[in-house]
Amino acid sequence: MFNRLPWWMGGILMSGLLLLTFSIFGADRPIGSSTYVPYFAGIIFDLNPEKYSYLKHIEAPGSWEGIMLLGALFGGFITSVFITKSFRFSLIPTGWKTYKNNSVASRLLWSFFAGFIMIIGARLAGGCTSGHFMSGMSQMAISAMIFGGVVMMALVVTGRLFYNLKEKR
Amino acid sequence: MADIVFINEHTSSIADRLIGMVESVIHQEHGSVALVFLIGVIFGGIIQYTRVDKFEKIAGFAMLKDTIVPKMLFLAVGLTSIALYFMIEAGGAHYHVKPIILQGLIIGGILFGISMAILGKCPGTGPISIAEGRIDVLVGAIGGVLGGLVFTLYYDDFFKPLMGENLGKVTLPELFPGYEHLTVLIFGISVTLIAIFIPKLELFDEADLRKLPDETRPDKK
Repeated sequence: MFNRLPWWMGGILMSGLLLLTFSIFGADRPIGSSTYVPYFAGIIFDLNPEKYSYLKHIEAPGSWEGIMLLGALFGGFITSVFITKSFRFSLIPTGWKTYKNNSVASRLLWSFFAGFIMIIGARLAGGCTSGHFMSGMSQMAISAMIFGGVVMMALVVTGRLFYNLKEKR
Repeated sequence: MADIVFINEHTSSIADRLIGMVESVIHQEHGSVALVFLIGVIFGGIIQYTRVDKFEKIAGFAMLKDTIVPKMLFLAVGLTSIALYFMIEAGGAHYHVKPIILQGLIIGGILFGISMAILGKCPGTGPISIAEGRIDVLVGAIGGVLGGLVFTLYYDDFFKPLMGENLGKVTLPELFPGYEHLTVLIFGISVTLIAIFIPKLELFDEADLRKLPDETRPDKK
């Protein structure tokens, strides 16, 4: 059998996890997963939180998400090895080969560039897919709806322009 | 421009700061360290088991060849919005609404959307891909950490002014006073219906399909 959960099961489980996290019996806060990146940048580059207002500002959510991230890495690793059996080292996704090119260098350079602007974008907006789209929209926050709308448009326009939609198939 | 200030004199090694991270969570009253870790494990498990961390799912959605990600996201939002609203009314949870910082949301959203299409991951699904051995995403994460560094260094001088004015924390039901419950139900039900009615499109990864016997291949049905 194709080892994965259907989308509706994923949606229901994710909804359960969001509710657990929001609940006062859980963590009494939303799920987020982009604040940990500048938090870890602060750790790796040994920046003093007293000197950088932003590090001070994200101290609490950054550390919370840092622990959650460690859990997510562990959960993702265990699931990929024992359940989906999808663990393998790879440098270039099949879809990139089909719709972009076969160059590993191109994939790595674009990945680096995209990772860089992704975190700047998420921190400018104050959240990412988890913090805004899932947690924010679940609270019916207008900020999340604006973010969600802009992201969807930018995503689809980029997808159209960046990839060769009918190649090699 | 910000000068880079290091804190070597205080002998704060990476190990010390990781301990600081754990201590910070202990003092936050947002769940025990074990619970937060467990939330992460479940989060990673759901994303991995539904395979939405794959390049073909997010970049595939950008190309409008795969709709699993929006279907799952909209369903999670639709169900959670109704349940959460009544949970908050009953005192079982609180709102944690993010403010409308219009310029930040729009500029940030454009950058985020572009990078999500190219990388085929977001900050939540990226680490799960790395955990299953995707080196290209690890390179993306290194770019991300440098992005986080640049954001931190130039926050006061450049990024904060760029984000513009804070227009406050507003939610949809607040815009319809007197009809809050109705608004919540309409929102939750419509978003759930959107999730169900988005046509199901799938872009498969040959590398995964090749492992399956022909008759079970979902693309050949």
